[in-house]
Amino acid sequence: MNTKLKVSEISKIYPGCIANDKVSLEFGSGKIYALLGENGAGKSTLVKILSGVVKPDEGEVFLNNESIKLNSPLDAKKNNIGMVFQHFNLFETLSVFENLSIDSDKKDEELRALVNDILKKYNFKIDLDIPVLNLSAGQKQKVEIIRCLIRNPKVLIMDEPTSVLTEQETDDLFISLKQFSKDGILIIYITHKLKEVLSLCDEVAVMRKGKVVSVSNTIDEKIESLANKMVGENLNTIKKKINNFKNSEEILKISNLNFKSDDPYETNLNNLNLSLKKGECLGIAGISGNGQNELFQILSGEIIIEGTSIMFRNKEIAKLNPRERREYLMAFSPEDRISQAAVPELKIYENVALNNFKSSNFFEKGLVNEKKIKEHSKKILSNFSVNTDNVELKSQFLSGGNLQKLIIGRELITSPELLVCFNPTWGLDVGAINYIHETLIQINEQGKSSILISTDNDELLKLSDRICVIYKGKLSKIMNADTVTAEKLGILMGGGSID
Amino acid sequence: MSFDLNFIGILIGAIMASSVPLILAASGELITERSGVLNLGVEGMMIIGAISGFALMVVTDNLFFAVVGSMLSGLIISLIFGLLTQSLLTNHVATGLALTIFGIGMSAMIGKNFVGIPGKEFPLLFVNLKESIPFLGPVFFGHSIILYFAFGLPFLTNYFLKKTKTGLIIRAVGDSPTSASNQGINVTLVRYSCILYGGAMCGLAGAYLSLIYTPQWIENMTGGRGWIALALVVFATWSPIKVLIGALIFGGITILQLHMQAVGLRIPVQLLSALPYIMTIIVLVVISRDSRKIKLNTPTSLGQIFYKEK
Repeated sequence: MNTKLKVSEISKIYPGCIANDKVSLEFGSGKIYALLGENGAGKSTLVKILSGVVKPDEGEVFLNNESIKLNSPLDAKKNNIGMVFQHFNLFETLSVFENLSIDSDKKDEELRALVNDILKKYNFKIDLDIPVLNLSAGQKQKVEIIRCLIRNPKVLIMDEPTSVLTEQETDDLFISLKQFSKDGILIIYITHKLKEVLSLCDEVAVMRKGKVVSVSNTIDEKIESLANKMVGENLNTIKKKINNFKNSEEILKISNLNFKSDDPYETNLNNLNLSLKKGECLGIAGISGNGQNELFQILSGEIIIEGTSIMFRNKEIAKLNPRERREYLMAFSPEDRISQAAVPELKIYENVALNNFKSSNFFEKGLVNEKKIKEHSKKILSNFSVNTDNVELKSQFLSGGNLQKLIIGRELITSPELLVCFNPTWGLDVGAINYIHETLIQINEQGKSSILISTDNDELLKLSDRICVIYKGKLSKIMNADTVTAEKLGILMGGGSID
Repeated sequence: MSFDLNFIGILIGAIMASSVPLILAASGELITERSGVLNLGVEGMMIIGAISGFALMVVTDNLFFAVVGSMLSGLIISLIFGLLTQSLLTNHVATGLALTIFGIGMSAMIGKNFVGIPGKEFPLLFVNLKESIPFLGPVFFGHSIILYFAFGLPFLTNYFLKKTKTGLIIRAVGDSPTSASNQGINVTLVRYSCILYGGAMCGLAGAYLSLIYTPQWIENMTGGRGWIALALVVFATWSPIKVLIGALIFGGITILQLHMQAVGLRIPVQLLSALPYIMTIIVLVVISRDSRKIKLNTPTSLGQIFYKEK
């Protein structure tokens, strides 16, 4: 059956921000539509309206030419609109089956049969009777998708579905989505990743600052053209000049690093050796979960291991905690901005103060020197073009990009000799990514070193001087970046070997 | 010193009776907490139940009205908590503490005129069986209907939470109110219902004290049992059956240590009095040390305020 979905003149205004400004779009079944835009462009608001979570101030939604009211998520369900949110709406402590049965009117046996059919049809492999918290992100997403499929959806909306997925899981997802589309489900795919739009979608609508700025067929688009529409300005693509550091001074040397964890969810590290020259950027590639987390925590001092030597600027630092390492001019930007790098409930200046070191004088005789911290914070905000000058703002109100700028700024303002960052542009929009990349190149130019642990190969190839791959807790040979290609990385990341 | 079998039976019966208020209050609070609401007002709701039950008994001379009235009054006072935390979005902890203080003060005020009035005899079931069967008789028979209800309640609660749709919805709300709301579940309604149910059970627990256990009104007669019930829920890691075990251990050691004090063992009285608390915690911690199970049973959103995006 053909499905037509139309949104007409939708507006939603939040205090101080027009999230949607007279948005009109049309969709028809059999195609996959991309809704593309930077963070804060209004995509999420639009899909929240379509799924009944948020009510629009103005405008109407038509399904098959009939105006429908979407006052609650129930209304969306009744109209066969299914939605998979970026942040999963699952109950972690309940079993997969309980998660599925909670909003189903079917009897348990019927539902189980139906779910098993879906699992078989789309080749999903999920144990229905284990708690959701034991599932991987990709599996959780499949549970969300199954929850929609149970209701025979006409429309399936996916909100930034790949931000939590590995590359393999992303490939699987795309195969499923194409299959759904063939089965007549209209798919709306929200993303800020340009490559995905080109490889998956048939049509693309670009949103900027709450407005739809372009609708086109993806065949007619290229990465650059979409990026420019999305950001609204011509982006200069940056590429670092790769340097040769043969004769430079060695700044960091780790030999025979072994780490064995009791936690089955952690990865053991085997015999890692690496060294870093002054001014150099070492990229560490790999599919997430291959030991990056553990390596980062060992570098930052969150995990301290016995019997390994970590020499930093000719000093042994293996036994120092993160704060003491900062005194020696190391700096760290963890992967998880919200729970590791910053405390979202704290104000900006309070988050800055958390990164306290001896020379900062943030605290005097046990008292907080608020004035000093605020001045320091203001400097970070302006030097690293964070989109606010209000240091009293709670950090949770910053967008991902601005929060990341704040974190990187907080680390860099002390002019560290080494910055270790882990997926610094994860989930950010093009503008913010560009800014972070420029900043990272800049510190190398100033003769400071960096270690970039990332799951984004483009980013690694763009920024690194030398690259290696971590696979199941082991490091590959460290290669000069100009000899490395995305293909080579791909082989190594999958556990293969080259030459 | 010799114990005959029948005496042990009577002792077990007494232990069971003393754990009833804990089981009732903790089972009620368990449902409330499973929906993600932390109501620290258990002690206050219990004592309100105790005084209203007793007062209604005196005024109406009808035990049925007294029991039902105590549950209603527990429900009404928990409604205040519900209004504050669910509709006005106040902090659960502070509101619960206030509720307890309010309940204790209010009950003392109402209770002034009821001090010294003798209670009424509460009908006990199967009294002749209690006397005719040695050992098992005093264990299983000759109790009030509320005791039988209390001992069935943890099993009912367990079945309700694990096997029924409503139970599933309550657990879902306790896990993630936002997800539940996005699934079209009325989180506020679910939480209100669980708060009111918890209130009613606490009211009943209070009535058990003032109508059956020690049939009279004494100011502050709950004596911290509400706090013990709260602790039981947490240490039993939100499992109704473990609440029952915990309540029995607590009741058991309370009674036993009283006997030990009476026979004059040379152990400091303070240590004996502390024994029930220490032993209950140790046993519950030992039987619930499976961290995976703890994670699955703990209501993730416990104590968090939920408001719906508009």
